Amino acid sequence: MAVSARTRKSARRQRLEAAINYPIDWLEERSGLVGGLRYFLFRKVPGDSNWFHTLGSATLTAFLVQATTGVILAMYYKPEPKTAYASIQHITNDVTLGWLVRGMHKWGASVFIILLFFHMARVFLFGAYKYPRELNWIVGVLLLVMGMAEGFTGYLLPWDQTSYWATVVGINLNGTVPFLGPYIAQFLRGGAEIGPDTLARFYSIHMLLIPGAIFALIGLHLYLVVRLGVSSPPWSKEAAGADWVEEQVTTNGRSGLTQPAARSSWRRNGGDAE
Amino acid sequence: MSAIDERRSQFKKYKEDVKDRGKPFYPYAMFHDTVMSLVVVGVIVGLASVWFYTSGENPDTCGGKDSCLLGPRYSEPADPGTTNFVPRPDWYFYFLFYLLRIFKWPDSVILGTVGIPTILLIIAFALPFLDIRSERRLSRRPVAVVAAILVVISMGELTYKGAVAKEALASEVVAAVPQWAQRDGFANDPKAVAGANVFAEGGCTSCHTYLGTGGGNLGAPDLSAEGSKGKGVQGLESYVADPSKFGNTVMPKFGAFASIPAKDAQGKDLGISQLRALAIFLDASKGPK
Repeated sequence: MAVSARTRKSARRQRLEAAINYPIDWLEERSGLVGGLRYFLFRKVPGDSNWFHTLGSATLTAFLVQATTGVILAMYYKPEPKTAYASIQHITNDVTLGWLVRGMHKWGASVFIILLFFHMARVFLFGAYKYPRELNWIVGVLLLVMGMAEGFTGYLLPWDQTSYWATVVGINLNGTVPFLGPYIAQFLRGGAEIGPDTLARFYSIHMLLIPGAIFALIGLHLYLVVRLGVSSPPWSKEAAGADWVEEQVTTNGRSGLTQPAARSSWRRNGGDAE
Repeated sequence: MSAIDERRSQFKKYKEDVKDRGKPFYPYAMFHDTVMSLVVVGVIVGLASVWFYTSGENPDTCGGKDSCLLGPRYSEPADPGTTNFVPRPDWYFYFLFYLLRIFKWPDSVILGTVGIPTILLIIAFALPFLDIRSERRLSRRPVAVVAAILVVISMGELTYKGAVAKEALASEVVAAVPQWAQRDGFANDPKAVAGANVFAEGGCTSCHTYLGTGGGNLGAPDLSAEGSKGKGVQGLESYVADPSKFGNTVMPKFGAFASIPAKDAQGKDLGISQLRALAIFLDASKGPK
């Protein structure tokens, strides 16, 4: 009797689990995305990777803040010389929490650039751009250039005196490039003078062209990080981060372990992930 | 074993080691990442709040004495006809902005606008191919350490100098006009004096200098003795209206001045445009006597 009750309960549980798992299995069978996510989350990183390694994801967070607040700003902003300034005033002073969204976008830009530089400095000092991660460094430099270009194009959009005249000079400086300069300046202005076409063009570049490129480059950047693995700090005695393993081994009161034993020791501690 | 084979086998060993004895990204590294991301969002929200609550709806709230902690919400609306502006980029371009004070128009300004930025960019892209040793410990990478320190110091210095760069306030510049007229000897020419006032109020000194007053930005030259170069009033007028026709693509066009009548100190119409007055003033500037 008891046995059959337990079996029945177990069968119900099994059906429940199957029902919960069904959409996941359905997705996995058709896309492999679940396995991909599992691989991403449970891939191994060196045991002594530390707070310095969070600068990259912090930069990504800052970019996502820019993308989110940017989408909301685009709902209220009007990219026309006659209306742009008024719409910025409206967003800042009238729209509910508009000040927060615009403020986060304005200051998030600076935070994004600072974090880009900090992340770059970390990679440089850790020597993490060396073989086989050269390509990822190049993608990172491209992302830095894209970030600065976002800053340049976004600066014009409030269409106030500071932004207008800084852009006049900025475009003129682009015009000093040998041979190509006049064409670059002409392209950026969309004509002989800065006007409605310039604003629409900067807006399009700022919210479609460059963000698209940044999303694609971040995708490539992360793919390369996952494929090549996170580099351990240069002071590590071994690539896998010996300190962490030793610590785990010591807590278990074991010593002089060979590799497989050390491996099982971390499994006992936090290995439920695998 | 050749160098490339050795690097390959080292990387293979790294992959195996990490797979065997690393820790999983979730939850260990992800915990750190999440905390850091929350800090980042917190800092951004904090900056936005301080910026908003220390500024006002009026663009010139941060003008005078009650200046805001993080600047105004916006400046005056853009006006292509008014040149009283400070062409100042966002702070992360200050190092380039200040670089242009070092190089003077027209001979070397291209080094500041194109030369140095291009070289820096090429070095940044090429870094993994310039530094091909596999050594990663800082104590054994003296060149990299020195280079990093130099880059940080020079970028920091240029950014700081760009941030505190002297801005010529219109009121101060206007106050200097009688002294200019005296020293350059055009005090008796009301048209030249009117032109000097256009020069002072119009924001020309944001970039140019005149007898020690002004910004000296973007490689713009000193104009105290511009009239002694023999360009003539007509020549100067067409230059200011559209400098790009004379190969100067850095200076903005100031043709808008041609449609504004010039007035003397008493408000009497002088019968010429502000652009013409400006050209007369520049032509009368033969250098301090």
